[in-house]
Amino acid sequence: MNPRHSSLAPIRLNKVPDVAPSFWIIKIMSTTVGETVADFLAVGAGWGQGLTRMVMAVLLAAALLLQLRTRRYTPWIYWLTVVLVSVVGTQITDLLTDGLGVSLYLSSAVFSVLLAAIFGVWYRGERTLSIHAIVTRRRELFYWAAILCTFALGTAAGDLATEALGLGFTWGVVVFGVLIGATFAAWRLGGNAVLCFWIAYILTRPFGAALGDLLTQAKAYGGLGLGALWTSALFLAVIVMLVGLAQSGVNSGRPAAAAN
Amino acid sequence: MLTRFARHRSALLVPLALSLVLATACSKPAHQAGTGPATAQAASRLGDLSAFRSVAADVAAIVDKGDLPAAKARIKALELAWDSAEAGLKPRAADDWHVLDKAIDKALSALRADTPNQADCKAAVAGLLKTFDAMQGQV
Repeated sequence: MNPRHSSLAPIRLNKVPDVAPSFWIIKIMSTTVGETVADFLAVGAGWGQGLTRMVMAVLLAAALLLQLRTRRYTPWIYWLTVVLVSVVGTQITDLLTDGLGVSLYLSSAVFSVLLAAIFGVWYRGERTLSIHAIVTRRRELFYWAAILCTFALGTAAGDLATEALGLGFTWGVVVFGVLIGATFAAWRLGGNAVLCFWIAYILTRPFGAALGDLLTQAKAYGGLGLGALWTSALFLAVIVMLVGLAQSGVNSGRPAAAAN
Repeated sequence: MLTRFARHRSALLVPLALSLVLATACSKPAHQAGTGPATAQAASRLGDLSAFRSVAADVAAIVDKGDLPAAKARIKALELAWDSAEAGLKPRAADDWHVLDKAIDKALSALRADTPNQADCKAAVAGLLKTFDAMQGQV
């Protein structure tokens, strides 16, 4: 192997995508797709929660390995990793809630504290939490740890809203959508960009789940009655189109997002 | 050039999606949508559970005949229907949902045991039917 390309060479290009509208659309939709696949395996295919969890954890490890080893942002690998992190993050919370009987209040609080701790250690070591500068392996590991935590936290917070407030998916879309909008507005009005990004990122988990439910659930429950299969097919088609566009942009030698 | 166009095009999806959502949110009544001629007997805090209960009743009948593999196959339909309706049902009465979910799980475990026991299965499914009945009439 050429020593110049050894894993000790500093990664100079940003390993994560620009935060454009397509970023948020793919992120929101990938939550639904990931959950549908996991649910299909656990229930539909009869694998059970235990086996599905193990399989997803192994797949995540493999995807993360691929992602960490790329030298620049590679859309299909990045987004595959996001989908798998989404599934595993959700499964962690579900394991705590359903398997171990942990209260959603407790898990929400613990994941919040854990996320703050991840940011604390990240900031202390790197002096920046900017996601436009994920250019070292250390930062990338912090990034993915934070992403995993946001999915676990987002799941817990969303489930808590459902159980404690009886918040159904229709109002869930409205409430979480408004909160995301407010976060966006706060950013445009001069709020801290990094803080706004991560808050919005957490909120897109329950928003995505509610949106998926809105399309999936039967009309009798107030949904559009599309069912899990067609909703996932639709979302997957949009994801593939947007990731394909991003991938072709990267392949055609468009200048990669350099560290700011 | 392509990326700028792509950025605008994907940004269009956001207001489109939001409009769809708002239209749906505004057109659905705030109270639970009914499922048809739900009699006072079938109503519960979770809504009309009659479809789920009737599958459970089928399973009970098959268990009574002693055909446990057939009962295991039939109860899968209940598991799938119950699981896919979770997002619609749970917000209506989360505590009730959990009680019924546990009862269904109990019946599933009994029928899916390595060596299913007739008495255990009968008891678990009977318990499930009792749970359904306990919920009904409690609007």
